[in-house]
Amino acid sequence: MSEGSVSQRAHPTDYRAMLVSLVRRVLLVSVLPLIVIAVANFILFYSLNRSIVLEQQANLLRYHKESIEAFLANLTAEVTALAHQYPREELVNGHLERLFEVLQQSAKVITDIGVIDADGQHLKYVGPFDLAGRNYREAEWFTEVVERGYYISDVFTGFRGVPHFIIAVKRSEGDSFWILRITVNTDYFSRLVDAAHVGRTGETFIVNREGRFQTKTRFGDRLLEPSGFPDLTYHDGIKVRTLRMGGVGYICTTTWLSSPRWLLIFRQQVRDVFAPLRNAVVVGILMSAAGVLGAGVLAFLFAHRQVQALKRADAENEALTQRLVATGKTAAVGEMSAGLAHEINNPLATIDTLQTWIRDLAGSSPISEEDRLEILDAATKIGDQVARCKTITQGLLKFARRVDSSPQPVLLSPMLEEMVTVMRTRARIEGVALDTDLSDVPAVRGAPAHLQQIFMNLINNALDATAGRGDGRVVVRTRATDRAVRVDIEDNGPGIPQELLSSIFLPFYTTKPVGKGTGLGLAICYGLVQELGGSIEVSSQPGKGATFTVTLPRVVQERA
Amino acid sequence: MSIRVLLVDDEVSFSQTLAKILSRRGFIVATAGSGEEALVALAREPWDVVLLDVKMPDRDGLSVLGDIRAMPDPPEVIMLTGHLSRSEEEAGLSGGAFAYLLKPHPIPDLESRIRDAAQSVRHRREKTENSLARKGGEL
Repeated sequence: MSEGSVSQRAHPTDYRAMLVSLVRRVLLVSVLPLIVIAVANFILFYSLNRSIVLEQQANLLRYHKESIEAFLANLTAEVTALAHQYPREELVNGHLERLFEVLQQSAKVITDIGVIDADGQHLKYVGPFDLAGRNYREAEWFTEVVERGYYISDVFTGFRGVPHFIIAVKRSEGDSFWILRITVNTDYFSRLVDAAHVGRTGETFIVNREGRFQTKTRFGDRLLEPSGFPDLTYHDGIKVRTLRMGGVGYICTTTWLSSPRWLLIFRQQVRDVFAPLRNAVVVGILMSAAGVLGAGVLAFLFAHRQVQALKRADAENEALTQRLVATGKTAAVGEMSAGLAHEINNPLATIDTLQTWIRDLAGSSPISEEDRLEILDAATKIGDQVARCKTITQGLLKFARRVDSSPQPVLLSPMLEEMVTVMRTRARIEGVALDTDLSDVPAVRGAPAHLQQIFMNLINNALDATAGRGDGRVVVRTRATDRAVRVDIEDNGPGIPQELLSSIFLPFYTTKPVGKGTGLGLAICYGLVQELGGSIEVSSQPGKGATFTVTLPRVVQERA
Repeated sequence: MSIRVLLVDDEVSFSQTLAKILSRRGFIVATAGSGEEALVALAREPWDVVLLDVKMPDRDGLSVLGDIRAMPDPPEVIMLTGHLSRSEEEAGLSGGAFAYLLKPHPIPDLESRIRDAAQSVRHRREKTENSLARKGGEL
């Protein structure tokens, strides 16, 4: 045997919660893809941008290296050409000044120029320092140039006490040789190397193999100072990497010059390199945020409209329920009045026969003592029947007092007791035992008229289900739960088949013969219970009966 | 010959008083408090008219009517009900009830209805007896 049960829960609609959940869902659907796209875009954009920037830096440094090497090679070639153009005596006896002027004409590329003989003796010097007559036999560059024929030095201090570097060329003349030497203008060279200032922190400079500055830098580093550049190992081509110097991250692009072995460095702070990228990202985030905001506004408007539509539908539904309730009320009143008519008509019929009996007896003259007693007995019986009618009409009046349709705290047990008293008249006719099992339950909030209608419908249904069986029994039970009051209307009728359980709360659904049921009773109960914020459930074991359970929230005790 | 009336009603005061009234007016009257009691009384002796209440605790008056009409040589049945429902009235009349009356029904009219019903049943019985006598004569 299977037991069927169906629950039709009804709760007051929380439109606000509905709005919030709707907005959340619409946002999820619209904003999530937006965020995914934004993040994907950012990652793609970032990696692309980074590789482009680094590639650009590598290219720039490659060209820069070529131009610096070309400058040094050209200068060396020029000095070599001059050394071979004039004999030593011509230069020493007057041409050197002229030559210096010519070399200075285009740009102040060189600081000074001098002629040194094979013994290292400075024969002739043109320039700002007092270096004539110095002997360079012991100088490192002197040894190098004698050996190789030409030499470009690192930056050194020398006799003049100022950091500089020189280009020297050996000229063989007869059995001996002499040397033409120029000092490169380090300011000019530094400017040449750090020609383009990139961003706020980009700078290009040269260090020697010991890491000492060979050019002045954009931010005032001086010649020969240790640069602190951490990676001085030789490498081919262009190398790009991020290095930390003085606690700051730099993107460093480096290449080794071929002659002299100097390291050409372009470095820029990481923050600076990616500043445009960061700006783009900020703009992107702002645009995304605007998108999200827009989506949010649209989501809200959409959800708001949906909820409004729902509210309207609910209001229409409510109006429909009200009409159903009114119709159902008429039907229920009809059903009840039939029972009442029967209950009143029966004593009336008895009274009618009694008064006829009295007339019959009183019509004979003289009246015997026996007839006189019979008349008194009939009169007493009339009194009994009147009392019986009075009980019915008083019950009806109590019942009718509960017509108030404004919500108020209602004690269900006394109300059900009164209702059962009135409805027992019908139950008696139908041969059904209508019993109560009422506890002292707390009040619920509702309109008495509505509560009465709910339970009258359910009790009438139970009576219908058990009428004329002889052993019919209906029990009305009240129980208190934690937060609610439960009312069971239990009958031992035929029960409700499993397949009908889900449709019995539908309006106009009825299994009663045509003209017997409107199909509105349970639909009305459902609507009214829903209005009261409660629930109505039915469980049934076919063949054994059905139990309808109405659960209504109890009135919350407010503390004074 | 006195008319034999069986009153069937669970309202004891009603049926007893009506019985007194009717017997004083020359009817032979008995009462039954339920459908089953009525059927027992009907099986025991012949009755001309049955006054039958529609709503009774044990059995529905309409089903008792069915049982009565199914008997051989049945009495006429006048149905009495506390509340008149069109569908029940139709069911009663189509089920063979002589009349279908709403309580309280005026006693004088009720009396004349009983007489009409008795006449109807006696007329029918005479016809049956005549045809039986004719058949007997033919034989």
